[in-house]
Amino acid sequence: MATKAARIGEEVWKSRVDKINAEVVTLTYGTIVAQLCRDLTVPNTINKTDYNAVNKELDRMGYNMGLRLIEDFLAKTGTGQCSNFRETAEMISKVGFKVFINITPNVSNWSKDSDSFHLVFEENPLADFVELPDDGRAQDELWYSNILCGVIRGAMEMVQMQIEARFVSDVLRGDDTTEMRVTLIRIIEDEMPPDDE
Amino acid sequence: MAVPVASPSAEEKTPSYVAIPPAKPFQSTLRYSSNRKTIYDRNLNRTKTTEISLASFAYLFNTLITYHHSKSSSVSEIEHRLNRAGYPIGIKMLDLLLYRQPPRSATRPTRIVELLQFIHGTLWRALFSRSADALEKSTTKNNEYMIIDNEPLVNTYISIPKEMSQLNCAAFVGGIIEGMCDAAGFSTDAVSVHSAGEGDEMWPGKTIFLVRFKESVVEREEAIKASGG
Amino acid sequence: MAWWVVFALLIINKAGGLIYNRTFAPGLQKLDSNDYLILAGTFHGIHAISRSINPAPLAERLPGNRKPPTTGIESLESSHFRLTCFQAPTGVKFLLVTSPEQPNTDVVVRRCYELYGDFVMKNPFYSMEMPIRVEKFDRALGGYLVRP
Repeated sequence: MATKAARIGEEVWKSRVDKINAEVVTLTYGTIVAQLCRDLTVPNTINKTDYNAVNKELDRMGYNMGLRLIEDFLAKTGTGQCSNFRETAEMISKVGFKVFINITPNVSNWSKDSDSFHLVFEENPLADFVELPDDGRAQDELWYSNILCGVIRGAMEMVQMQIEARFVSDVLRGDDTTEMRVTLIRIIEDEMPPDDE
Repeated sequence: MAVPVASPSAEEKTPSYVAIPPAKPFQSTLRYSSNRKTIYDRNLNRTKTTEISLASFAYLFNTLITYHHSKSSSVSEIEHRLNRAGYPIGIKMLDLLLYRQPPRSATRPTRIVELLQFIHGTLWRALFSRSADALEKSTTKNNEYMIIDNEPLVNTYISIPKEMSQLNCAAFVGGIIEGMCDAAGFSTDAVSVHSAGEGDEMWPGKTIFLVRFKESVVEREEAIKASGG
Repeated sequence: MAWWVVFALLIINKAGGLIYNRTFAPGLQKLDSNDYLILAGTFHGIHAISRSINPAPLAERLPGNRKPPTTGIESLESSHFRLTCFQAPTGVKFLLVTSPEQPNTDVVVRRCYELYGDFVMKNPFYSMEMPIRVEKFDRALGGYLVRP
């Protein structure tokens, strides 16, 4: 299963994906985060960024991206429904991330009942050459790549899986790894419309 | 803090002074990862040729457009905001691209034409993997130049709805150009973006980036030329 | 080859609303826009019913796995036309109406899905589930489906 997903990812990336220089993406994402940090300030202050609000906004932006990106993904890769959450994890890491940002994070730390896993990012193009502001708060409060959590959440919701994605560590914060925990909340089963007698 | 004053017994030539207290050295409070290099130790050229899907750029760019669209009340305001969003990128790209020039032939652009050729060629190739399509000087105004791109890569998937037909999202790229010109010492009044694709069958997305330099820049250029530079 | 014709493409959103309807070649009966909306809604309902009354035995469900997906109507054929329906895992349906002899309708409809993913999903001015009015999508589809 693992190698099949890797093969699909590699093949789609090579032949069916238009490419652009990664630095443009890094710079554009940086612009977005910087803009949010300027616009979202703690109430009653002028320049004090409200990092929690920035995190939430990045997640919301990612969610809207994910809703659309999933159709793109399904069309390009021709995949159908995954039968279980483990397969989903492989799809996200080996195909999803590969086809969009050309990285394959590792899947690890499966929970006992297989409903939560960690994605470990060896490299993160969004945060290349980024250093958080030295204001004593950014490193404790901001999750720079939080848009990725929203993307996964939005994309999964469109294929009937409700999940929660959160970063648990980030090298930008001084941690040793960049890891995201993805947890399955529930599968949204097809519901027949209620009987209208 | 005690203010040292030259005592009368010191040399007569030493004037009395008030010493500025030494600045406290900047104390960084940032934590760094223990097992990785900091960004200052990484090779800048490492990511020069890395590629990412155009789709990712498109989605991020869309997020930027939607964000500014929701905060703007007119098409020109959206374009202005996109221009401001691209501005800091232009400043950074100038340094980065000059740094990456091959050492033997690297020169700093000191003339308008050199700068524009740098933008038309090096900048475009770094961002979009091809050079821009044309570079023209206005025949009517001596401070206006035009860079033409038949199909801006940033607009690949964007279709402007009819009620906003004046909008051209390549204003973002216009901001990058403006940032680069200003940072290189060629201040601009504005870099505006015009869609020239109406009725053009082959290149419906043709975009003209109109660069308007300040009068002082043109005067300086004339002066250099006059003195035989 | 002259009888390989793509007549029309309809796209139905998750709720059964018609979001795209375009005719590429003459040959179909002219319907007015309201009729197309009713057609889309009706097909959506019938497709949903056909998913639950699928007579084929369900594939075995392994423990810990999701219910294996059931498919609804995939193709409807008469002597005058063939209707191919492709439903994406997200619920969006693509209905392609072609002449009965047109081969590879599944390839054609997947290509339409890909173009949808490219030009509709990546358009910042398109709101989800709304009727599609995207110029580049129209142009790309026209280039692909209209025989010169």
